[in-house]
Amino acid sequence: MAKRITIDPITRIEGHLRIDVEVDNNAVSNAWASCTMWRGIEKILQGRDPRDAWLFTQRFCGVCTTVHAMASVRSVEDALKLEVPLNAQYIRNLILIAHALHDHIVHFYQLSALDWVDVLQIPKADPAATSKLAESISPWTKNSRNELKAAQDRVNAIAGSGQLGIFANGYWGHPAMRLSPDVNLLAFSHYVQALEYQRKALQVVGILGSKTPHIQNLNVGGVANAIDLDSQSALGMEKLEMIRGLLAEVAQFVQQVYFVDVCAVAAMYPEWFKIGSGLRNYLAVPDLPLDSRGSSYDLPGGYIRDADLAGVKGFQTASDPIFRQSITEDVMHAYYQGERPLHPWVGETDPAFTGWNGDEKYSWVKAPRFNNEPMQVGPLAQVLIGYAQGHPLTRKYTDLAIDKIAAIGGVRATPAALHSTLGRHAARAIRACMLAELAQKHLQLLVDNIAKGDYTVRNQPVLPTHEVQGVGTHEAPRGTLSHWVVIKDEKIKNYQAVVPSTWNASPRDRAGAHGPYEASLLHTPLARPEEPLEVLRTVHSFDPCMACACHAFDPWGRKIGVAKVL
Amino acid sequence: MSRVLIGGVGNVLLGDDGIGPYIVRLLESLYRFEDNVELTDLGTPALDLTHRIVGLHSLILVDSVASDDAAGTVVVYPKEVILQRTPAQRLDPHSPALSECLMAAEMLGAGPQNVLLVGVVGESYEPGGPLSEPVRHSVQRAIEAVLRELERLGFTYEKRLVPDEPRIWWSDDLPADSRAVFN
Repeated sequence: MAKRITIDPITRIEGHLRIDVEVDNNAVSNAWASCTMWRGIEKILQGRDPRDAWLFTQRFCGVCTTVHAMASVRSVEDALKLEVPLNAQYIRNLILIAHALHDHIVHFYQLSALDWVDVLQIPKADPAATSKLAESISPWTKNSRNELKAAQDRVNAIAGSGQLGIFANGYWGHPAMRLSPDVNLLAFSHYVQALEYQRKALQVVGILGSKTPHIQNLNVGGVANAIDLDSQSALGMEKLEMIRGLLAEVAQFVQQVYFVDVCAVAAMYPEWFKIGSGLRNYLAVPDLPLDSRGSSYDLPGGYIRDADLAGVKGFQTASDPIFRQSITEDVMHAYYQGERPLHPWVGETDPAFTGWNGDEKYSWVKAPRFNNEPMQVGPLAQVLIGYAQGHPLTRKYTDLAIDKIAAIGGVRATPAALHSTLGRHAARAIRACMLAELAQKHLQLLVDNIAKGDYTVRNQPVLPTHEVQGVGTHEAPRGTLSHWVVIKDEKIKNYQAVVPSTWNASPRDRAGAHGPYEASLLHTPLARPEEPLEVLRTVHSFDPCMACACHAFDPWGRKIGVAKVL
Repeated sequence: MSRVLIGGVGNVLLGDDGIGPYIVRLLESLYRFEDNVELTDLGTPALDLTHRIVGLHSLILVDSVASDDAAGTVVVYPKEVILQRTPAQRLDPHSPALSECLMAAEMLGAGPQNVLLVGVVGESYEPGGPLSEPVRHSVQRAIEAVLRELERLGFTYEKRLVPDEPRIWWSDDLPADSRAVFN
């Protein structure tokens, strides 16, 4: 008899992703991913000036602010057929890269690492031996015995106090935790260091965008940065050099620490290259445009069906006709009204809440489909689509990862092993390395273009009175993001955002096809069903972001203890 | 140098959830603060709040809260109460995470000495909705709670003779209304 487990953070923390699994003979036999909060933010945009939309979309989510701002201006530019000056493209690319680097570091160290790292084993580690181990796999200079001893002391202090605080809810001592105390210590010391580097990445966003978390420098048609090489307040040499320094530091952390840690975890849990595969359809759009028209890009896009890497199809542009025409959203199992799948330009967001029923409606997330099929998006899709097309930078870091994993663990993974939970982590680290390298390139492109005397940052938009429609895409940290806008009489007539976590957290569609989270959980073995660590590992490998896919408004749960009422 | 951050937390697109950013922008428009007082509209931060609070002397947050108290009630939560909350297993990195971020900062030995959450009990969280009546009426009490804490911490501020236009761009009707509260 199958046993049902619900992981519903709403009852325990401030969250909004719910996972239900049925467990039979200690393996997952069925799965449902659902979002427990309504999202109807797009409706706010109807009737507004399309040039202001990005200010609002930037508030869809608190962490992915920048990506929604960017997709929004791109959607309006696409509708107006408006080119974007080179300087603006490079500045935007740098912001997107810095944001993504920040995001990937946060994801691995703060969300996922403790799925694999057992903090309570750290007191048993030997900092001297750990330091030696670290030096054998990375040139990173902050792996000294003293650094590691300091990290161990922090854990000892917490473990000794009996108040685990931030670590109170880990599955410590779980049989699926298998790293040695020394490796646990090493990863934990990097968890502490990661905070500093994620901050440096965000500083780049802040310098170029004026502010974080909400950038101020965007405009439909370009950016609002004033360029003046001799000025300290405008974007000049001083700021550009500061950005260069910050990006170099972040790149070093990504390549010498994050990438190596992911390879080490992969080398020590090789069975996870066989778990969590699920849906092997992948989708990514090209990004980091290299010209003002958006006809060539540094990151390739396309799609792969059913793991057929040889059959990969590429997209020529970020709003490729195939992409534009092939997307629909199905609400058969989502709490919305509507009979048939709709294209986002004619999409509707009218709620019809019924309560959770796994056979009928069970999620606030719609089911987006590409040619009627569910697709997985995110770093794994980006890397596989690039690799399959022979993209040199993707090949370089994918091959490096495979070599590194083999050097640490003696197990040689193949690109096919990337269809897995570990594959998603590896792909994210590969992508972070690629972005770290591209950051330097785009900064140099910007500096060189300014040196030519080009100070243009914006093309003025002209709004037509007749109806136009556009799509703006961005290959965001969690995958393909698309904003779809219809403009009439200089106002927004319709607006839909199809966000990465909508693709990945998709519920079933009318054909009964599972979404990526759901499919990836099937057959997962559980050592202790009452402590479903393995389910968390796979769900976390996607880097879920329900704040975008939906929105919570109960930031504190109910009572949080003794409070003073004014 | 001791620094204090006054951060407004919440989604400005969701009615009463936007009260935190709203209050912070009103404070900016009505008062002048000494240099080491920073005011920021934080939006809806999650685990990335940690690196913003590390190294601060003091932190004052304004946020909407869900509670059994009547809408518009202003409730303050000191640091020790926030730290009592046990973070649970997290499926999603982007849910609000004040307790966790504070604990992480404490673990690094760099948590703010003083933390106060000024919470306003919300009523309505409709997308695009205005502040509800009870929350609108809480504005002055919430501002006073922030200023009282700032004074207790020994930071100074002065009222602007002519208030700046508050940068509450997401709402059409509020600035005039809220200025009336103070005149």
